[in-house]
Amino acid sequence: MLHTKAKFRAIDAVLLLLCLAAGAYIYYRIQYGLEYKGSWAAIPQFLLRYDPETGRWAANYLLQGLITTLKLSLWATLPALLVGLFVALCRTSETLFLRMVGASYVELVRNLPPLVLIFIFYFFVIDQIMPLLGVETFIRALPTGAQGVITFLFAEKSLFVQFISGIITLAFFEGAYMAEIIRGGIESIERGQHEAAYALGLSWVDEMRFVVMPQVIKRVLPALANEFINTIKYSSIASIVSIQELTFMGRQVVVATRYIFETWITVAVLYMALTLSLSLVTEQLEKRLQASD
Amino acid sequence: MSEIHEDYIIEIENVSKTFTGGVEAVRGFSAKIRRQEVVVIMGPSGSGKSTLLRCINGLETAESGAIVVDGIRLDGDKRRRLEIRKEVGMVFQSFNLFPHLTVLENVNLAQRRVRKKNKASATERSLELLQMVGIADKANSYPAQLSGGQQQRVAIARALALAPKVMLFDEPTSALDPEMINEVLDVMKKLARSGMTMVVVTHEMGFAREVSDWVIFMDDGQIVETGAPESIFARPQEERTRRFLNQIL
Repeated sequence: MLHTKAKFRAIDAVLLLLCLAAGAYIYYRIQYGLEYKGSWAAIPQFLLRYDPETGRWAANYLLQGLITTLKLSLWATLPALLVGLFVALCRTSETLFLRMVGASYVELVRNLPPLVLIFIFYFFVIDQIMPLLGVETFIRALPTGAQGVITFLFAEKSLFVQFISGIITLAFFEGAYMAEIIRGGIESIERGQHEAAYALGLSWVDEMRFVVMPQVIKRVLPALANEFINTIKYSSIASIVSIQELTFMGRQVVVATRYIFETWITVAVLYMALTLSLSLVTEQLEKRLQASD
Repeated sequence: MSEIHEDYIIEIENVSKTFTGGVEAVRGFSAKIRRQEVVVIMGPSGSGKSTLLRCINGLETAESGAIVVDGIRLDGDKRRRLEIRKEVGMVFQSFNLFPHLTVLENVNLAQRRVRKKNKASATERSLELLQMVGIADKANSYPAQLSGGQQQRVAIARALALAPKVMLFDEPTSALDPEMINEVLDVMKKLARSGMTMVVVTHEMGFAREVSDWVIFMDDGQIVETGAPESIFARPQEERTRRFLNQIL
């Protein structure tokens, strides 16, 4: 790989100054041009709130929203990966039927706006699939201790069905993108690898598990990491169906305070804290996987 | 070909293979190979020798004719195919080692997954094989850290791991730098002397002369001439053989 070192030239200084000037102008317009009175001082209380009754600090709207976003994305990523893997295997299968199923799913999801998809799919899931699985009755029948665990891992009892529906919807949606990434990885494995595995008498499952997939993971990890980050970002559309994640809570705070800029900038920073730390983790993972190069 | 000849380990009868697009790679090829024989297949590029070799373990499917390996007929049946895959080892021109596994893991994999051996006994056999190909000290290296010759020797050890009855070599030295060819040929000679049945596609005349029992000269998907190496190299009967030998000498 070619590495060219970045150099700081006069033109860079000029451009940098121009950017700063643009920033200052925007700030000026907001500050004096808009009829807008904001206050940063009001924001921290929506992150952490002192509860005089218990005498403790507790997470308020924004932090609660952040936690819900984290849970939502985390729990959606796992099934999305499984769906992606399964569909990728379908799309590289020798069976025409499986290929068609895989292709239809991917094209359906990829060619619809996520917002439209979530409206259709979410209400279908919550209306039809959840009662079918008996999730609600299951939750209500659980002992208090187990309910505590459920609340900690997912969401509280009253919001659980919504939350799970959100996860399924996001996973359904993200699965298609992950499938395409994984398929690309599978197809990039040289023919010789398959031939060597065949000649050694490995079964298809063993070939995939021990020969193909470990190499695929290494190759697609950067693209997958991008998709993990996308999952976090797309989880914000779940706010539209009243799942109380970060964007939803941001809207609540704006409605209550009218501090549009301060609130949304805080929300943006919180999202970035999640996505940037995820980037760092995957970077480390990539480095570790490069051991055999 | 219904009756099974016990002394022949590979029987190929009237095999043809046409690729999609109409290229006739192999046209009505027949040959019988005895146990412990070493057969060298030679011929100009595009003569169908690699395709023929790949038909023997089912990597390519011959559309007509019959192939029987150690009494097992190669056909659509998956279990029989698997039997043949276990009994026939193959070494490729481009090594095809698994790059994410160490040398030892490369040799262990099939023993563990196909023969269901435990790790200790697989490792024991792997180290023996690596010793045999002279590369035991690299057991924990990754393929990318080895030279081409070393990689090919690991590939030979890997193919031997399941104790196959037949070894196929598809131009095993063609991708190697000249100074590494001999280390691979030496291992192959050792293997030949140990009594392994080998079918080798190669242009290495020295190897053919030293260890092969007979040579098949192929062109245009067919056998042009067969014979003992000394006679086929010294007194080729066919014009095409003569022309080819003149080119590679």
